[in-house]
Amino acid sequence: MAGRRNGLAVLVEALRTWLIPYRYGLERWSYTLQRISGVVITLYFVAHIVETGYVVGGPSVWTIRPDAQQYAERVWTETIKFLSNPLFDAGLAIIGFFVAFHTINGIRLFLAHFGWGLGRPTRPEPMHRPQSMSPIQRALFWASIAFAVFALVYTIDAFFGVLA
Amino acid sequence: MVSERTLMLIHYLTGLGILVAGAVHIGTVFLTAPVKENLEFSGSPFSVMGVYRNAILAASLEALLLFVAFHAFNGLRVILIELYQSPRWERAVTWILTVAALLVVIYGTRTILIAYSIAQGVA
Repeated sequence: MAGRRNGLAVLVEALRTWLIPYRYGLERWSYTLQRISGVVITLYFVAHIVETGYVVGGPSVWTIRPDAQQYAERVWTETIKFLSNPLFDAGLAIIGFFVAFHTINGIRLFLAHFGWGLGRPTRPEPMHRPQSMSPIQRALFWASIAFAVFALVYTIDAFFGVLA
Repeated sequence: MVSERTLMLIHYLTGLGILVAGAVHIGTVFLTAPVKENLEFSGSPFSVMGVYRNAILAASLEALLLFVAFHAFNGLRVILIELYQSPRWERAVTWILTVAALLVVIYGTRTILIAYSIAQGVA
């Protein structure tokens, strides 16, 4: 019991530092956003596989039925009709925001991991900035935010036609 | 067991793969024609059946499925073993997520194969 309570306390503490990125600089924001966007995209991915799976008949169908085409066309059309409402369109716009952010920030992490675009290590004098957040890395982080906002606006326009 | 180093290398490589296959997937839906047109079942070149009639596009969807399944579930594994550490927890997380990823891949592959077969018969 004690072990379990300890585990839960560790989990809560970890989640608290994970989800509250204030006061730690740009890298912590990047860390938190990368993880939140990753989890959200994973949820969307699984939902997308389940949803498209129902178009061809759901979990029980593993062969091609004689009426496969008519069945798929009917379920697809019904699914699109069901999903065509402002709630799901807005949800997809948020997914677009997270996918765009995760993509560019992922490229930034890829570059940082292999040491590209990083500054040289220096003595940590007071007020020093971590070299992992060099001007190139900072620019890439803000580029990921800019691309995410662009994707959000583009998706909203694609579904709601606000810019037309 | 596969080393953490190898897993992270595959994580980065699948990330690059998603960059390509994901761009193709999002590009065919959003950039080739108005979204509403591409979301129709058949008719236009990049409607659902249009995409699946094209063997290269169908194969790229299968590649995207494999890449995202690994990348997503390995990402969840990294998050979960970062939140709490113990050998038992790490083993459980690894096994459960491996099985979940395999189920998603098998189920998604079945969907793609059936959709591809249907598309070959659609005029």
